[in-house]
Amino acid sequence: MTGHMIGESELIESVGHLEVAVLRRWIDLGWVLPHQDGESLRFDASDVARVRLICELHYELRIEEDSMSVVLSLMDQLYEVRCRLRALLSAVGAQPEDVRTRIAALVKAEG
Amino acid sequence: MSLGRLRVRHPAIKILRHRRLAQRRGAAPTPLTALGSKPARRRAKSGAAGASVLLVWPRLGSLARKLPEDPSMVDPYEVLGVGRAATQEEIRKAYRQLAKKNHPDLHPDDKGAEARFKEIAAAYDILGDEQKRARFDSGEIDASGAERQPPEREFYRQHAEAGPGFKYERRWQGGGPDSEDDLFAQMFGQRGARVRARGSDVGYTMSVGFMEAVNGAKKRVTMADGKTLDITIPAGLHDGQTLRLRGQGHPGFGGGEPGDALVEVHVEPHPIFRRDGNNIRSVLPVTPGEALAGARVRVATVSGPVQLAVPKGSNTGQILRLRGKGVPSAHGSGDHLVELQVVLPEHPDEELVRSVSEWEAKHPYDPRNRQGAQA
Repeated sequence: MTGHMIGESELIESVGHLEVAVLRRWIDLGWVLPHQDGESLRFDASDVARVRLICELHYELRIEEDSMSVVLSLMDQLYEVRCRLRALLSAVGAQPEDVRTRIAALVKAEG
Repeated sequence: MSLGRLRVRHPAIKILRHRRLAQRRGAAPTPLTALGSKPARRRAKSGAAGASVLLVWPRLGSLARKLPEDPSMVDPYEVLGVGRAATQEEIRKAYRQLAKKNHPDLHPDDKGAEARFKEIAAAYDILGDEQKRARFDSGEIDASGAERQPPEREFYRQHAEAGPGFKYERRWQGGGPDSEDDLFAQMFGQRGARVRARGSDVGYTMSVGFMEAVNGAKKRVTMADGKTLDITIPAGLHDGQTLRLRGQGHPGFGGGEPGDALVEVHVEPHPIFRRDGNNIRSVLPVTPGEALAGARVRVATVSGPVQLAVPKGSNTGQILRLRGKGVPSAHGSGDHLVELQVVLPEHPDEELVRSVSEWEAKHPYDPRNRQGAQA
């Protein structure tokens, strides 16, 4: 992921109500994967959005640490499947109309 | 170089076009109705996006509720579905319940989730805070929170579908990268084999002038994707011929080659010349005197004007061959076949009428009998 990256303190500031120790715990658990830049950590836009999401899941929806791993696991799988489904759909979309029609008919028959 | 415009051929109008083509082969060519490039582009797009129309996937649960346009008019109590007398704990509970159901990152397929979640969050922002709730109840602040607009935020789902290689992808897959259970691996035989597919071809039609088709030309055309392209019209191109432009079709998938653009070319009719294979046919009007006494007349050909000797005693319907003056081709050029047509003056005067009538009285002949035209 390219784009603007921010440091740990900027992240804490932009998210609000987040302690450094908690963030580091999440990083240790592998929930957030910042870039290592020598000694310091750099967060890209997807890290920031993910931290915000984990904050909401944890502080507002009261999802605790053990269940959070399950939730994030399911969520990551869901997004991966969506990604690959989209790739598949675009491959199908690049086919001639008769092929698309046949695939659509098969999908309908299966589902 | 002339400017031309390619028209995208949509499969749906193919049948119609074939009918037109059939008509055209039998009768005089009719020009196709001109289409602007914008509808053509739109059609190309709708064709490419066809799959999402064809394949309908089940939607995740969605709450079909109409959202008010002005956030300051929304009643936060109504949003959270609690009464005015609800305790803080009841409000928290209601909020959590709704947030779980509507968090956009947990429902990536639900387009309305983001707006609903923002509304729910805004309502909770007021009612979840006892002081703010009191100010709202007393009418001091409106439902948008007055002094605190919810900041524009990026949700995680905007990043999570960035594409293959996203760093949080597959982190949690227990089976590992070679898992037999991978649905997509099943489909394509092996896991990790990126699907490579050649892009599909795109059909276009275009018109070229008669002379351009005969002598060859370069045309600059605008493709469906807005790209301009110089197309070489080969000399001797015939009506309905398809030119294949390699790599100018739909882009390939997963590193696959792009498809081709197939351009069906229609040749516009010419006021004088007519194609007959590689020969050119035209009708040459001559005066009765030129036909009777013979003459040298100027004749237009596809390669420029030439002098043609009309032999003495020629007649209407006689065909004179101008060798090599037809359509150029690799196996030698065709010929130009000139059909003579004896034409009387438009307003014959007394003198002509009298002298011809007198001549005919002395030398009667029956042109119908000679041609066998009369039964």
